[in-house]
Amino acid sequence: MTASIAAEDVPAFYEGAKFYSPAVGDANRSSVTSWLAGLLDRNGPVPLLKVESLAPETPCVSVCVLGSGSAMADLPPAGDEFEAAVRRIERLEQTRFGAIYPLAAATISALVAVVTAAQLGVPLIDADGMGRAFALIHHTAMHLAGVSPTPLAAVGPTGESVLVEVPSGPRADRMLRANVDTVGGWAALAAYPTTAGVLRRAALPGTVSRIANVGRLLLERTDPDRLVTRLGAITGCRRLARGRIVELEHLSRPSDVTIPAHPSSLVVEEIGDLERQLRIELRSEIVAVFADGALIAGAPDLMCLLDVSRGSLATLDSLEPGDLVDVLVTPADAIWYSPEGMRMVGLVSHGIPLAHPRRR
Amino acid sequence: MSRPSTLPITLGELTRIEPLSDAVAHLFDPARPVEQVVLAETFDRLRRCPPHVLVVLHDEAATGGWSLAAALHLAWERNLSAVVVSRTVAGSSSAALAERLHMSLIVIDADPIDVALQLAGQVSAPAAARALRQARLAEQLAEQNGIRGVLGALNRELRPVSVALVLGEIVLAGQAAALTDRHPVKQVEVAVNAPGERSSARLVAAVPVPGLAVGQVESLLKLARPAVLAAWAQSRLDAAGRAAHEQAAFELLRHLSAAPPAGPGEAEVEVPSWTGELGWEVGRANRAVWLAPVRPSGVPSPEVTHLVRAAWQRGHAAWPLIAEGDGWLSWHSGADPDDTAALRRALAGFRDSAAAHALVIGVGRAHDGVPGLMRSAAEARLAAHVAREGGPTTVQWFDQVGASAALAWLPTTEIAQVADLCLADLMAARDRAALVQTVLAVLDCGGSLSQASNRLGVHRNTVLARLTRARQLGLTFEDPGQRLALHVICYALASLAAEESTP
Repeated sequence: MTASIAAEDVPAFYEGAKFYSPAVGDANRSSVTSWLAGLLDRNGPVPLLKVESLAPETPCVSVCVLGSGSAMADLPPAGDEFEAAVRRIERLEQTRFGAIYPLAAATISALVAVVTAAQLGVPLIDADGMGRAFALIHHTAMHLAGVSPTPLAAVGPTGESVLVEVPSGPRADRMLRANVDTVGGWAALAAYPTTAGVLRRAALPGTVSRIANVGRLLLERTDPDRLVTRLGAITGCRRLARGRIVELEHLSRPSDVTIPAHPSSLVVEEIGDLERQLRIELRSEIVAVFADGALIAGAPDLMCLLDVSRGSLATLDSLEPGDLVDVLVTPADAIWYSPEGMRMVGLVSHGIPLAHPRRR
Repeated sequence: MSRPSTLPITLGELTRIEPLSDAVAHLFDPARPVEQVVLAETFDRLRRCPPHVLVVLHDEAATGGWSLAAALHLAWERNLSAVVVSRTVAGSSSAALAERLHMSLIVIDADPIDVALQLAGQVSAPAAARALRQARLAEQLAEQNGIRGVLGALNRELRPVSVALVLGEIVLAGQAAALTDRHPVKQVEVAVNAPGERSSARLVAAVPVPGLAVGQVESLLKLARPAVLAAWAQSRLDAAGRAAHEQAAFELLRHLSAAPPAGPGEAEVEVPSWTGELGWEVGRANRAVWLAPVRPSGVPSPEVTHLVRAAWQRGHAAWPLIAEGDGWLSWHSGADPDDTAALRRALAGFRDSAAAHALVIGVGRAHDGVPGLMRSAAEARLAAHVAREGGPTTVQWFDQVGASAALAWLPTTEIAQVADLCLADLMAARDRAALVQTVLAVLDCGGSLSQASNRLGVHRNTVLARLTRARQLGLTFEDPGQRLALHVICYALASLAAEESTP
């Protein structure tokens, strides 16, 4: 078990975080990883604690990046945004947070949680709210457990900040989104102020150390078959099929209103005995995989494509017809397959009114 | 009039009439019956469809991408007949998936609700839908004015049924697959003859069973009968007119080439411009072909000429065919007199027809201009006479004939009659065939007994004995005054005997 995160863990941490949000491109890679590695070099490793090892009354807050990753690459952080967001809530609540946890242990958000912990000099909790990345800030285990995301503070790269106090999680997301563009396209978010005692039942445990382990595997660059077996041991992931991309479909289709994304499809001809036609539905991530029209995996499962020739994860903006890919599916945390979880992040939320293959 | 069929309408029939006639249909099985039409706007509705339903996707079930793939899969699970979907939703991979699932996919441009309503009406009243189809076919047939056009329209409209117009066992037009019965098919035949006319021509259709209404196909064939008759009569009229035209034109050409040049400077006969109107090519290297029956029996009938023309001009519509004496003349013009590839291909293709009509073929040499054509025609005719010795389908090139061609012109029958009178003893002898053969061999071999015995495959003494007996019966070939006459008589008798022994 990783007891702390040091500068040398950063590349693995980044790779693992990418595995759990495969849609995100690599635009921020070097700036964020070198920023974090520098911080850890100067301030020393950040302790990574199990939530049970903290006193139940310890105040905790989650952080994440709100908005678009490419906007963050265009307008890089000044460096104090996350610290400022946390301090803002500390002032409001008149408290001092004793630990930080990531809202989502995936994407750049997993890294900024380490950054914030290093800046504030507090430990990082080995737990998060999503276990992967979802689109909206109330798509969390804390929300399902009745923990309010507010008061929350969002600080943009311009130094401006927004403080939101609303009783309902979904309302908070709408109010924030209206402001993200104004403050610079992305914002540092501090939300879900609570205590370690609440997090013991409300957060998903072990998800931060998991991405570090996954990242180490991905960096080894072994052959795809062995990689999938090893990933399966840590994450429960398995290969649905191996095939060649034959078509990228960008159809203008009616999109659902809850999640901002442009629906499109990827058609893959399976290689092997079955030779099925796979259809991979894309929103801001892969939301469903059909084999010959039969649904074989869908949100909240985490689906990603492994570029077989390179032995690395393929991001959705780098796909080309002719690429040979493995379609991998990783089960999400169990809470997302509950009726409430499925309503929030399941297939229906992406406009696909079909029964999930795990619940048929 | 037979009772209209009340069998469920098939996919193939539906796609022939509005509103699906304009749609892009990827039909896996056109003979698949459609018992009901469902307008499905949710996947729940799809899941409740009974088998043999044609489903029109709409609204939620037709949002594109995954939805069509999922709908095709459900249709396959439910054993539905076909899926109809708007073009905005269907990509090329959807057609590929439909094919993989053996599911029929029909892509429409019109509004799905309107289409579903129209289809529901057609499926609930199959007889009315079929009547509509007959009307549509009648319209299409009325637009055609050739046999090929009529058969093409029939085959298009009746797919997957193949239809052919057959005379005897020969397919005149349409798909030859109509005569084969590889698949489980039922053959439907409709005789094609005008009132009071006896003809063996008929329309034959191979109908895949089970699935398609055989009675329906039969009534559609009957609907096509007047169109076939009209087109056929027209083509026969045209052919007769053209044959007369070509014959006259060739006769004129012959006169032109025979007339002496008008002035000392005009050694060449100019090619008249009207040959172009007939589609003829004259002027470059012309190589004539003479088609002739192996046993000439006067001027061939127009019907035979029609059939030979159809076979000869298959693929070479511009090559002329002129009825001339007891055979037909054609020619090929090219820039290179040595290039015979096209002609050889045509001859190979004509072989079956030559066998069917018991024809032999003579080919002349290539000569320039109109006089050259006439010369080549004479050579071809001579070669055809020589070819008769080889039996039907023999092709004789004049280059390979030489002076022996003269023998082909011998009136062998008349010479045999002379022999009957002059050599009565010989003609009465039972062994005359062997005697004639032996004398002919000895004369052919310039009197050499050993060569003759080799050629005949008998002992030299046998040859000697036969010659002695032949002399006693009047074949006194050592007499120089009689030798040529006896040689010719022996040749004529031997050729006649050879002809009689061939079937």
